[in-house]
Amino acid sequence: MNKLIRCLFFVFVMLFVLSSVSALGVTPGRTTMDLSSGLTKSIPFTVLNDAEQDMQVVFYVQGELKDYITLSDNNVRFSSSEGSNSFNYNVNLPGDLSPGLHEAEVVIMRIPDASEDGTFVGATVAVVTQLHAYVPCPGKCIESELNVLSDETTATRFVLPVVNRGKVGIGSLRANIDIYTPLNERIASLNTDSTSLDPKSRTELVVDWDGNASVGSYIARVTVFYDELSISFDKEFAIGDASLSIDSIYVNNFKLGEIAKLNILVENKWNKNLDEVFANLIVYDKNNDVMADVKSSTDLIPALSKKELIAYWDTVGVKVGVYDGKLTVDYGKGEADKNLALDVNKDELSITGVGYVVGSGDQGGKFEIKNILIILVIVLIAINALWFILLKRVMKRRK
Amino acid sequence: MNKKKISGNMKVMVAQLLFISIVLVVVLVVYPKVEADLNEDSVSFKSINANAIIISSSPDFSNPRYVEVEDNLSLNLKPGTYYWKASNDLLNGFGRSFVVESEVGLDIEDDELTNTGNVILNITETEGGFLVGHIILGPDESSEIENKNDGEYVGRQK
Repeated sequence: MNKLIRCLFFVFVMLFVLSSVSALGVTPGRTTMDLSSGLTKSIPFTVLNDAEQDMQVVFYVQGELKDYITLSDNNVRFSSSEGSNSFNYNVNLPGDLSPGLHEAEVVIMRIPDASEDGTFVGATVAVVTQLHAYVPCPGKCIESELNVLSDETTATRFVLPVVNRGKVGIGSLRANIDIYTPLNERIASLNTDSTSLDPKSRTELVVDWDGNASVGSYIARVTVFYDELSISFDKEFAIGDASLSIDSIYVNNFKLGEIAKLNILVENKWNKNLDEVFANLIVYDKNNDVMADVKSSTDLIPALSKKELIAYWDTVGVKVGVYDGKLTVDYGKGEADKNLALDVNKDELSITGVGYVVGSGDQGGKFEIKNILIILVIVLIAINALWFILLKRVMKRRK
Repeated sequence: MNKKKISGNMKVMVAQLLFISIVLVVVLVVYPKVEADLNEDSVSFKSINANAIIISSSPDFSNPRYVEVEDNLSLNLKPGTYYWKASNDLLNGFGRSFVVESEVGLDIEDDELTNTGNVILNITETEGGFLVGHIILGPDESSEIENKNDGEYVGRQK
């Protein structure tokens, strides 16, 4: 017994040791340097040993500015008690860099752990602290992007952070945003307020779109005007999430023991086509084991429209009864699912969702020839009885 | 005559000093006092007499965010430089700033690569010195990898 416990303990310890963990971090991830305020700088960074392990790291520099950077250390050993350690690199840039962005990367690489025979185990992990050095433009130049803040309940807010990368101040800065549908129809045109912007400064131009836009994908065409100059760019954005709903599921002419054709009606609520949509019905038996796993073929659901997905369920061997099921429709960007109850009878399959009926059984059942004949016999018996009663009354009067 | 003039001037000066002192005391009393405490990517504010914090990512406070001051108010912010000032019904305080530093972190555990930092990472994947792909991971996101001995994963801020 003791031996068994020792063996289990050994296996557990081995598994723990063999499970390789390699972690490394650095902060800041990026340092921005404006060259108008000097060409020399000492930049601090901190290497993080979050996993608190013994490790060895090496530092090296790469990128366009690598020849102008000097590292204070190249090779450092961390003990498990050191959660972090701070270092510096010195930047000494030449004065003849062209206007714009220049980059360098200080790479911090963890030397992989070696096994007993001296070979390295597992992949190598490395993190980078970047240097972004901006040389100001001689005249006026700006840098901008578009951030869209939206949810389905409030107005959509467009925020344009603008940085003046030039040596000259800007007297009038404003932006125009035209909004287009995926079909290239312009549905709105928005203008921000005008402001001024000093050299090396940053501001944000803001405008709200109050239009009752439906969920979907849109394109914003942005033009930022700065004094007599302008820059333009496009950005695709979305309001809400791509969504699809399951409207109903029904079966026609169901016969137990045959292949049932399931018609699953879905609605694409997005303003773009959804490609590669398919349905998956899983039916569970009384023990909650999977009894059937049925997939429809893959289909394209056009924007803002409904379409049926067809799936086939082979009911050979299925017994009469009520079964739990789950219907999932996968549309790439997400899934829609419903829990279902499937009431299987000899000639009928009723599918009920939670709190609502999503399908009917054999819809042609009401007009089956058997039912018509029964109704006909009942009607004939009634007519005969009526005729008999009327004849009897006539005979009585004559007497 | 001169003595009278000097005495009159003194009175005016004393009155001015008194007035300035009273104004300074009033301003000191009503000035919105808030202390900000930065801890990694979370900043907490402790206030005595401020109603709101005005916070913006631009020094000119364009597109500001107004946050009502409550007990133990704490905000989780993305990396960047933030400018803020406290406000009450009477005064807006001076603008101050703090920096939430970006952190690049990678963790490989068995066959799973995780972004443990606070920024989106562009991770280059090389095998035997050759670039084989890129992985984009948001904070706390993971990706299955083949943890090969000649593999190398370099994470940088996107």
